[in-house]
This record gives sequence, structure tokens and C-alpha cells, in this order.
Amino acid sequence: MARVRTTWAAMAALLTVMGCRGNRSNEPPVHLQQNMDFQERGEAQERNDFFADGRVMRPPVPGTIAVGYLKEDDHLWRGRLPNGALADELPAGIELSAALLDRGQERYNIYCQPCHGETGHGNGPATRRGGGFAVAPANFHQQKFLPVTLGYFFDVASNGKGSMKGYKAQIPVEDRWAIAAWVRTLQVTGEASVDELPEQAQNQRPRRIQ
Amino acid sequence: MPAIFPRWTNNIPIAIGLLAPLVGAGLIFVVWYWFSPSYTDVGYRPEQPVPYSHKLHAGDMGIDCRYCHNTVERAAHAAIPPTQTCMNCHEQVKTESLRLRKVRESYKTGEPIEWVRVHQLPDYAYFNHSPHVAAGVGCATCHGRVDKMEVVEMDQPLSMGWCLDCHRNPEPNLRPLDQVTNMNWDPTQEAYDPKRDPARKRQVNPPLHCSGCHR
Repeated sequence: MARVRTTWAAMAALLTVMGCRGNRSNEPPVHLQQNMDFQERGEAQERNDFFADGRVMRPPVPGTIAVGYLKEDDHLWRGRLPNGALADELPAGIELSAALLDRGQERYNIYCQPCHGETGHGNGPATRRGGGFAVAPANFHQQKFLPVTLGYFFDVASNGKGSMKGYKAQIPVEDRWAIAAWVRTLQVTGEASVDELPEQAQNQRPRRIQ
Repeated sequence: MPAIFPRWTNNIPIAIGLLAPLVGAGLIFVVWYWFSPSYTDVGYRPEQPVPYSHKLHAGDMGIDCRYCHNTVERAAHAAIPPTQTCMNCHEQVKTESLRLRKVRESYKTGEPIEWVRVHQLPDYAYFNHSPHVAAGVGCATCHGRVDKMEVVEMDQPLSMGWCLDCHRNPEPNLRPLDQVTNMNWDPTQEAYDPKRDPARKRQVNPPLHCSGCHR
């Protein structure tokens, strides 16, 4: 009888130690099929000691260009006209449309809003935490930004300016143009009073952050 | 002639008949419960080299998932951001923080921060984020409420049966295409019918055949 009791106690102890589903743990999950689960191949962002720097993803050899990325269209890729000035028009192939502005608004709210704020007043959530920014993000409604070209916003979004870093690695080129168009839209609608807007736009006006 | 087997051995067949199903059921239960990824994987929360809090960045500050994981709509892999993405803000904010020491170091030297991977499918399973995002499967559906996690942990088992549950009947896990990264969008509270959503160009038709995922 004592032995039966010991067996039961051991089983109960074992199950208790194994615990329930959803237990939090620092330990990597147990995988029984090691050689199938982790195959000898490189996956995105993995470590591989075959290369001296341990990166599976190889940086391109300096001076090489991937097929299709010559970026010879100065207007599209750099926002510049043939004479080197910043363009004020969208590049060929990107049409100003409601869809472009919708895309621009969505992308702006992902990548720019954290600092510049939803309305472009330079007071996004990142500026209000951790002691704030040493240099405040630009407020697009400032007088000095009103006459700048569309290409200027594209150029700053791509390459950064002052303490802002460039976003060309983070945002595809078409989306940066959409964002530039949206920044212009914010400028146009931002400081206007609601009564000046057409009735339809009054309801769609971006929400002003207090 | 004395009996070869003592009398009590007559009970052996009965005992086996009674115990075997119990032991068998017990074994099945043990394998079903403790060998499942619901037990082995869910709750895995490795310590990261930098104590980055998704709760602070994605939750309290409301930064969109795609600000950092910006490849998720176009690529199979939802990339861990390069150090520059951290420095976009942290060159301005918390520039002296000790918790960010490794980030500044990495930015200066160009050596990547060695983040520990949390969600890892077996290598024989093919997975691509972009069609899932395009179909309107929310981030939270598979990754849980990351906006409430100080330390990211696995929320779902990511097992084959779990994948197939949704591939067989995707509708309950679909949401409007502009709500994919919205952590607060609650499928139980919203009456959403993907079949009647004009924003959807086509209806989802997830593969159920083997080579859909084992290619």
C-alpha cells in the first residue's frame, strides 16, 4: 500500500513540476526534431558563423546595384529637376488622387506621426515622453514651411535634416511621395478654420491634437 | 497435481481489461497536453539584450507596428528593425539612458544587437507574413496583445493544427484591412463580415493542401 501511495505522490509531483500550459519561461521551447526544425540553411536575419561577421544576410558589395535599382530617375528617387532644383510636382507615374492621399495619410500616421503629430504640429507622442526632444520636430504650419516645394518634403523624408534621420530605408519611394502629398494636404487644411472648408471636408478634417 | 498458477492469477485478465484503457487514456492525455506546442512553446519569453518594452512603445505611445517592422506588408519576414530605427528617436530622447547603452554602442560600431528570436516556426514550414496582412489577419490574432507586453512572449502555439483551424475557417479571424495593426480592434465586439467589405478586392482562399506550407 505504501508503495502505491509513493507512486501516486511521485506522479502528482511530476505533473505539478511540469505545470500547466502557458507557463512563462525563459527557456527555449523543446523541439524533439532538432535536425528538421533547425535545418542547415540561412534564414532572414539569422546568425551564421560561416561568415566572419556572423550575418546570413550579406551586405551588397560596395559599388554594386541590384537589378532594377539604378535609380536614374532624379525626379522619382531624389525629388530633383534636371537643373538640380527640388521639384514641386509629383514624378511621372504617381498621380494625385484620393487613393494617393489616403495612402499618404496612412503612411504619415505610421512613420511621421510619432514625432510630427497627426496634424503636423510637431507634437507627436514621442516628443512628450522621456524628457522630450532637444530639438523639437518641425511644425509644418510654420510660415517658413508654407512656400517650400513638394520635393523638399520628399527629400527630408528620404535623407533627413538636422537631427531627423532619413527614412528611405524604412519607407518605399512611392510612399514617401504619398507622404509628401499628405504633408502638403495638412498644411492646406491645418490652419484653416472649419467653416472655410467644403462641407464634405469638414467631417473628414484631421483631428487636432490638443 | 498442484496448480501451476496460483488462484489469484485468474484476476490478471480482468485487471488488464480494466487498467489498460485507463493507462492508455492517461498516456494519450499526457502526450496531448504536455507534448503540444500549447505547452512547450506558449509563454516563451526570452530575456532580450536590451529591455525594450512593447507596452511602452506600441501600447502607451501608440506607435504603429509597421514603424519598426516595416517589411511585414511586402516580405515574408517581419524584420527586426536595424539599430537606426531605434536611433530615429533615441538620438533625441533618453540619450543617456543606461538601458539603451547597447543600442548606442551598436549604432556607433555597426555591430547588430543580438535580439533573441521569440517566434520560430520549424524550418520545414513555410510562412509568409505579407499575404496574411493583406488578407486582414490582425497582428494580435497570432501575436497576442503585444501592446500590453513588457517582455514579448509567445501567445499562440503556432502549431499545424492551430494554423489549419484558421485556414479551414478564416472569417472569424479577418478584420477590416485598415485595422490589421490596431491592437484594440476586438473581433468579439465588432460585427464584421469580410464578404460584404467593399474594400476587399477578392475573398481569401487559404491553401489547405500539404504544399501550401510544406514546400
